[in-house]
Formats: sequence, structure tokens, C-alpha cells
Amino acid sequence: MDEYNYIVSGLERSGTSMMMQILYRGGAAVAFDKSRKPDVNNPKGYFELEGGKIINRLMEGTFPMERYKGKFIKITAYGLKFLPEGKYKIVYMTRNLDEIMDSMEKMSGPIDRQAEKPLLDKLNRYIIRLMEKRDDIDYIIVKYNDVIRNPKKEIARVNEFLGGMLDVDSAAKAVDPKLYRNVREGDKNE
Amino acid sequence: MQDRKEIEIPSTLAKKIEERIKDASFKSVSEYITYVLQEIIENSEDEEETFSEEEEEKIKERLRALGYLD
Repeated sequence: MDEYNYIVSGLERSGTSMMMQILYRGGAAVAFDKSRKPDVNNPKGYFELEGGKIINRLMEGTFPMERYKGKFIKITAYGLKFLPEGKYKIVYMTRNLDEIMDSMEKMSGPIDRQAEKPLLDKLNRYIIRLMEKRDDIDYIIVKYNDVIRNPKKEIARVNEFLGGMLDVDSAAKAVDPKLYRNVREGDKNE
Repeated sequence: MQDRKEIEIPSTLAKKIEERIKDASFKSVSEYITYVLQEIIENSEDEEETFSEEEEEKIKERLRALGYLD
């Protein structure tokens, strides 16, 4: 049996659901339920467990991590603060914070960007540092816009990190080129 | 361009990084190392801090609004 717990993480709206779709289409074992239905914000689904409320269970120490060994689950960034000791491989998504907030606003209404942008930035850095510090976490950082621009190349990189468990061509079909419209102009020419 | 300074890392580590970045958008081992170190070290004073109660509450408010926390 696979000794790792596999996690897709990142700030909310950073492309975590897209990465879960990629892994699912690529043939990886992915655990999710139907507690959170697809909607206009995530038309292809959220690929989450327990309606996305895993963070509550992690904070309480009641999430059955052992049950998901060998499978990918989605735990957004803040939840990684509460990961119990284990053996983890984490695909961590990063994305332009303004794009993240654009997407958050569509989902949950106006955001005080001046106040929240530094906080999101701090949370992102805090979690990356946490992953770096923990000996039981192996991680890869994947930039959302790199996936949109060149899916096969980025997915091949993820596949290598995972030891070759993916069918890269199939996985790349999960990336909708229309998403490129949401990339901010400055980032299109990076 | 910022001034640059050479540093030494074990060749085995350099090789691992080369493997990791060979298909990524990083153009070199140096660029990758710079990126990772900046993420870790930049604003290190802030990073050494834990979140204040107010910051934690703001994060939780956002998570609740997005449906990620009860």
C-alpha cells in the first residue's frame, strides 16, 4: 500500500480544483464526494470531501487521514497548518493574488483588497515555509498560469514529482483553454 | 539587474534541482533557488511571527464566505 497521503493545496481560487481534475483525468487515485455540487464558480466541480469543510475536521483532530493513504485529497492552504504528523506529497498551487481576489469576489462578494492582499500573501508564504520546514512533507509548487499556458509541460513536471503515476496526455485534457481569459494582462507576457 | 553573488551548494543538490526544473518555467538552478529563498526569507520578520488573533479571524471569515469553514 502507498505510504503517502497526497494533497492538492494552495490558496482558495488558486487552481486547486483544476489540479484535482488534472490528476483525476490523468489516472491518479483521487478522493472526493458530491457534497459540494458544481456551480458557476467551478463548473467542473470542486473535487472536495465533506463539502470542503476538511479544515474544521483537521482543526478538531478528527479527520481520518489514514483512510486516504495513496489518494489525493484537496486541503486548501490554511488547513495545512493543522496537518497531523504523517508522510505527505503536496502539489501546491500558486496564482497571481489579484486574479485570486477577482475570483473570490465573483464567488463571495466584494473584498477589501488593501487589507486582504497582504494577508493572503502572508498566508501563502507562511504555508510554503511550513512545508519547507517539515521533514514529513515533500512538495512541488505549481504556478496556475504556467498550467494554463502549457498544460503538458507543467503536468509532466508534476508527474515526475509523483513518480510517473499520470497519463499526461489525458490529464492535460482537463485544462480548459478558456481559463486563459482570466489571466491578467501583465501575466500573459511574463 | 541586481548585483549577484556566487554561492556554493552540493552538486548532488544542484543535480536534483536541475531535474526538478528541467521542464518548468525556471530558466536556471539559480533562478529556482532565488525564487525559493525569496519565498522563505523575504519579509522574514513577518514570517517569524505567527498570525495575530485579528489576522486569524480575517482568514477564517474569508474561508467561511467561500464555504471552506463552518
